[in-house]
Amino acid sequence: MSTIDYTKNEVFVEGNRTLKQIDDVIIAPLDRIPNLKFFIALGFTLTLLLIGTVAIGLSFYYGTGLWGNNNPVGWAWPIVNFVFWVGIGHAGTLISAILFLLRQKWRNGIARFAEAMTIFAVITALIFPIIHTGRPWVAAVYLLPYPNQHSLWVNFNSPLLWDVFAVSTYFTVSLVFWYVGLIPDFAVLRDRATGKAKKVIYSIFSLGWRFSNRHWQHYEMTYLILAGLATPLVLSVHTIVSFDFAVSILPGWHTTIFPPYFVAGAIFSGFAMVQNSLVVIRNVFDMQDLIPLNTLETMNKIILLTGTMVGYAYSMEFFIAWYSGSQPEYFTFVNRAFGPYSWAYWIMFSCNVFIPQLFWIKKIRRSIPLMFIIAIFVNIGMWFERFVITVTSLSRDYLPSSWGYYSPTITDIAILLGSFGLFFTLTLLFTRFLPSIAIAEIKAVSEGAQPTHHGEDHE
Amino acid sequence: MNNSVDKNKNQIDLPVVQSQSETKHWKSLDSYNDTNDENQLRVKDNEFAEGAENFDINSKSKFSRRKFMGLMSASSAFAMAACTDYRDKGEIVPYNDKPEEVIPGIANYYASTLTSDGKGQGILVKAREGRPILIEGNPQDPVNKGKLESTAITRILDMYDPSRVQSPLKKISNKLVPTDWNEVDSDIIKSLRSSANSGKEIALVTGKIVSPTFAKLIEDFKAKYPTSKVYSYETFNENNRENAWKKSYGSGNFPLIDLEKASVIVSIDSDFLSTDGDVTENVRQFATNRDVDNTESYSRFYQVEGSYTLTGSNADYRLRLTPENYLDVVATLINHFAGKAGMPTMSGYKSLEALAKENNWKPEAIKNLISDLESNKGKSIVLAGRQLSENIHLAVNYLNELIGGSNLYRNDSQRVEAVKLSSNSDMKQLASNISSGKIGTLVTMNTNPAYNMPKAFNESAMSKVKTHVALTEFENETTLNADYVIGINHDIESWGDAKTRTGYYTTQQPVIAPLYDTRQTEAILLNWVNVGENYSEDIYHKYLQNNWESNIYPGLGKSVNFKEFWYAALHEGVVTHSEMSLSTNAFNQASVSGIKPTKKSNYTVIIQESPFIRDGKYAGNGFLQESPHPITKITWDNTAMMSPATAEELGVKMGDMVEVSLNGAVVNLPVLVQPGMAEKVIGVDYGYGRTNSGVISQGVGFDVNPLMSDKGMSKWVYTGASVKATGEAYDLVSVQEHHALDDEFLRTAERKNPEGEVIGGDETFARARKIIQETTIEKYKENPNILHEHAHDVFSITKDFEYNNLKWAMAIDMSKCTGCNACSLACYVENNIPVVGKDEVGVGREMGWMRIDRYYAGTPEDPIMSNQPMLCQHCDNAPCENVCPVVATTHSEDGLNQMVYNRCVGTRYCANNCPYKVRRFNFYDFRDDLANGYYKTESTKVMMNPEVTIRARGVMEKCTFCVQRLSEAKQIAREQGKELKGSEVTVACQDACPANAITFGDANEKGSKIQERREHNLGYHVLDFLNVKPNVTYIAKLRNTDSLGVKSEHH
Repeated sequence: MSTIDYTKNEVFVEGNRTLKQIDDVIIAPLDRIPNLKFFIALGFTLTLLLIGTVAIGLSFYYGTGLWGNNNPVGWAWPIVNFVFWVGIGHAGTLISAILFLLRQKWRNGIARFAEAMTIFAVITALIFPIIHTGRPWVAAVYLLPYPNQHSLWVNFNSPLLWDVFAVSTYFTVSLVFWYVGLIPDFAVLRDRATGKAKKVIYSIFSLGWRFSNRHWQHYEMTYLILAGLATPLVLSVHTIVSFDFAVSILPGWHTTIFPPYFVAGAIFSGFAMVQNSLVVIRNVFDMQDLIPLNTLETMNKIILLTGTMVGYAYSMEFFIAWYSGSQPEYFTFVNRAFGPYSWAYWIMFSCNVFIPQLFWIKKIRRSIPLMFIIAIFVNIGMWFERFVITVTSLSRDYLPSSWGYYSPTITDIAILLGSFGLFFTLTLLFTRFLPSIAIAEIKAVSEGAQPTHHGEDHE
Repeated sequence: MNNSVDKNKNQIDLPVVQSQSETKHWKSLDSYNDTNDENQLRVKDNEFAEGAENFDINSKSKFSRRKFMGLMSASSAFAMAACTDYRDKGEIVPYNDKPEEVIPGIANYYASTLTSDGKGQGILVKAREGRPILIEGNPQDPVNKGKLESTAITRILDMYDPSRVQSPLKKISNKLVPTDWNEVDSDIIKSLRSSANSGKEIALVTGKIVSPTFAKLIEDFKAKYPTSKVYSYETFNENNRENAWKKSYGSGNFPLIDLEKASVIVSIDSDFLSTDGDVTENVRQFATNRDVDNTESYSRFYQVEGSYTLTGSNADYRLRLTPENYLDVVATLINHFAGKAGMPTMSGYKSLEALAKENNWKPEAIKNLISDLESNKGKSIVLAGRQLSENIHLAVNYLNELIGGSNLYRNDSQRVEAVKLSSNSDMKQLASNISSGKIGTLVTMNTNPAYNMPKAFNESAMSKVKTHVALTEFENETTLNADYVIGINHDIESWGDAKTRTGYYTTQQPVIAPLYDTRQTEAILLNWVNVGENYSEDIYHKYLQNNWESNIYPGLGKSVNFKEFWYAALHEGVVTHSEMSLSTNAFNQASVSGIKPTKKSNYTVIIQESPFIRDGKYAGNGFLQESPHPITKITWDNTAMMSPATAEELGVKMGDMVEVSLNGAVVNLPVLVQPGMAEKVIGVDYGYGRTNSGVISQGVGFDVNPLMSDKGMSKWVYTGASVKATGEAYDLVSVQEHHALDDEFLRTAERKNPEGEVIGGDETFARARKIIQETTIEKYKENPNILHEHAHDVFSITKDFEYNNLKWAMAIDMSKCTGCNACSLACYVENNIPVVGKDEVGVGREMGWMRIDRYYAGTPEDPIMSNQPMLCQHCDNAPCENVCPVVATTHSEDGLNQMVYNRCVGTRYCANNCPYKVRRFNFYDFRDDLANGYYKTESTKVMMNPEVTIRARGVMEKCTFCVQRLSEAKQIAREQGKELKGSEVTVACQDACPANAITFGDANEKGSKIQERREHNLGYHVLDFLNVKPNVTYIAKLRNTDSLGVKSEHH
């Protein structure tokens, strides 16, 4: 083994580009007319979106009966999808806020993209709480605490209401945070813009940014404060989403371990999704230097860490179920692993606990194809985790007389496809209209940008 | 008005004084010096004085703000009214001439009788604004005493059924075309005349007739058309029982049996709690002796059966046995008692011990059976199912003589037949008359022989009938070949009377004018008798009245004049009178001498009457189709029920198709693996597989008519069938997943917790979770507190709400509940619950607010079944309430868990969090979804209870404790200035329960039954460890056995 110099920072931007070259590389996708591949990809995601939209439209017209939901299983795929997408939306803010506060420089290259994914994932997630209700047209209004003559008020005891606040707050803060980070980049775009329309639009969004020292000072402070605001939200959103389950009295849902377990799971799946997308982006747009293997490897380490945490939670749930001495509790967990939905349980367990353990091996951690596949498995596993929690617990609860088996319908599948369609459509459009990498931030961590005691590295 | 004006004056006086001008006026020096001036002081007190200095009321507009608002809203209201088409109010027309007794918003009840069911059940029809919305039992009816069979409860739906025959139809070039009454009448009269003149037979085919006046009319008809003959048949009848009785006792009818006097009941495959006989009376009498507060006279009930019936599920000892061996049981018992008494015995039969060994009976069962019968002579009865052969009935008659069962034969009342049921040979004669072309005119009257007797009434035979007239409510298999299909009135659109027993009559009156252009059967026949007279609506009414006046009334010995008597009779619905009963002759010993044992060969098929759709007559009724079979919990189908071992032997599982062949006839049926069936016995319900019966029932289930022949042990029990798997599968839907025995995982999942208590495994679920709690009488006598000995103290960490006034609560006595589902069906009708159809039941979306849960304990070979009515428990700490984000489900001050449909957005979180899973979600607009809105037509809308909201798609619903009834009671109490007594209010399920197992009332009412039940030693709450504090108390079932027979016997 060669010795590693721990005093030297790892390199997270390679290629030794000049600042102008960095601008050029990042902005290139915005300037050229997309190639056919892009339109094929967009066509594909739009088709998925259309399928989902039609399915939702039919569900509005005929009723939620088009789905597989039944009498013990009142919540199924729409809720699974909701929790899944909210979970995906966790990596972005974690990367941009928490890692920012912790001065993790490797985040700079991926923060913008991860944040964008957060926004899109939350947008996708937000569709579900509304459409999954029996009467979406009234749900959209009744769930808000608006003043009215009937003195009708929302129920502040209900976790579903906390959800409304938690997710909307998270969305708002994430959006503001993202936008603030984009201001200097808008200024760069404005300065490079050739068309009149572009110029006007970028001018408006750059808010008169002139790269002045004062601007940078205010910017850094605002960004820091926003990062501080966003940090607790990263933890609170999925905590509150987990309350949707934990506050109930259903065995398998009524668990105090849920908040940390959900947050860990969310970061786990979020990182997997970001890693997946980045692997594609850096190849398509030749940004291998800006998002080097080192960055991806660091992400894989986090996937390994959170995957192990999730595995711990799975095991602890079993232990507590046995230790509680409560028959319904115990049965629920035995039923998860060995009952009619055991297939789903073992898909979840293998994808989330066993497969990520491969990341202990450095070669796998640094192999693009392998990490890509493992991250896909992680997301499959995390989708199934939500399925296992939601559906198996409901399908067999207290009264055996009411047990039932849930199977999804074609409409359920169409809506899930539609959600992927929406998410990736937004992602694709994002890569075309906004810089996928934070130009200002990447410059700050590129070689030679910061003073260092390694004189020989300084040019 | 004056007051307010004065007030204004006072208030404005003051500024006026001050505001004369800017100059300050003074009246005295004191005033000038600003001291002690009253006005001045008051001004200082007035915070508005300064700003109001220049206020002059006269300068202001005459319009007050209030007046302005009033005028403005009035003018906008006028403007809006002008813009709306307010005249378009549809068909709402006020009463021009208001019927005296109809007050909008207040229900009227009318006494009547259901005559079409062959049982003459006395009913009360609840009508709102002239629309019948509910059928309840008439409390005056001495048989039913205010209760009804399930078919009668749901009969209301048939009247509003959109597929009723709505006018007379005539077949023209093979198509039924609506026509008018004059044409049909004259055609048919012509045909009747020509048949009578040419000596061809006029066959009147009917079900059982219970009306004495109709019987007289038939006599008149016969007099007018002398070649007429009446064929009255029921597919499930008591002919064998009656014939045996005649052989045993020479004359008379099989007597009524007083089950209330029975300490020991031994039933040989008699489904007397569900289909056999006057069920409501049987259940009531049976339940009387299942009183947990009177354990001394708690009856013991043995059921010997091959299939699994509702009755069998209520037995203390259920002895499964193939029907060929029933006679062995009876003969062994005869030999035991006859031997002691020196009476003739029967030889060549298997002993009870041998049968016990073959069939794995509990040893205590046969030991107890003999000793019980010995020690309860004169208080025991042996019943034999009506479907069994004459031989068994003969033997049972003998056995009852030996054990003193004859003591329980009632001599104060007896069955009466208005028109005698035709014998088998009569029906065969009819078949041959049809096929040989001897029938000139065939009139089928509200019956469906083409389905019930497909061989005799097949198409080619029917083509030999010159004129076939079908009088019917619905088109059916018989109407396919009819030349005239004539729509008839529903029971509650008709006049009539009924007499099924000595000692009383019931009267039938219409509650609504016929919905369609139909007439009642009797009126149609009468019109054919009165040739030449013009038809008028009240011809049969008059005929009925005349018959009563001249023939019935004189014999009743009433002192009032006829008119008064008649109105009183209609008002009450029941006329009682004293009538001598026949005494029974001595038993004819010779009748049992010729009986021979039966040999079992291959498979045995038992054809059972469906507990709900009966012989197929009610197949078109959605409520009954959706009502789960009490044992299998299957809806919308009939199945080949067979034991797990038999299924294994055949290599089939649930839902596989098997081919049952019997004497050359073949029927394919889906398998239902039913624990507790005797080996190599197939039980199958009759009445399904209708081929021409309307949207609801067409193609539902399988027709077993082809299997029925003369070659069986009786018309309904056949030995020597061969059964084999076809390899096909079929979709069966049930309201309960069949996991308990199907699922290998659950069967083997029995595990123990650290304290050694069993916490997993099939039978222990219901018991470990304290869903089902039962004990035996002996254990309960020993220790009345047995149920709560090991109870854990559960406490709340928050302060509980105190209910100081009303608090609604329910108690259900599990010892009395038979699991018949009448409660659930009554709930469907009362609360406008939609039928969802087979597909939706298949995905678990049935909407019933009340259901009967079924749990097994014991082994799959010999299970112990427990039924449990489950409905919203109206928990004090309702877990559904706090999770609703929009407060759509709340708790009332009188303890109700309420649903606010308007507010509900349908998150379904409440249903997820309900541990009892009693909440039901409207995934669709089910009325619209089922068969293209079959139950969303104009006619079925009228049936809806106007007091209960029709729930929209996308909202949650559940049992409300019939809140509409509670509100009505409150309103009445308030009007009368009385305190509301909870014990005086009843809910729909309670009213319907034939066993009186349900108690309802105010938990805080001192000395009330509900209070007593809530504190009962045997009272428990399902899942009480959750501390949700349910308000439905279950009274634990007492089994009259030596042991509970389950592995995890608690305490």
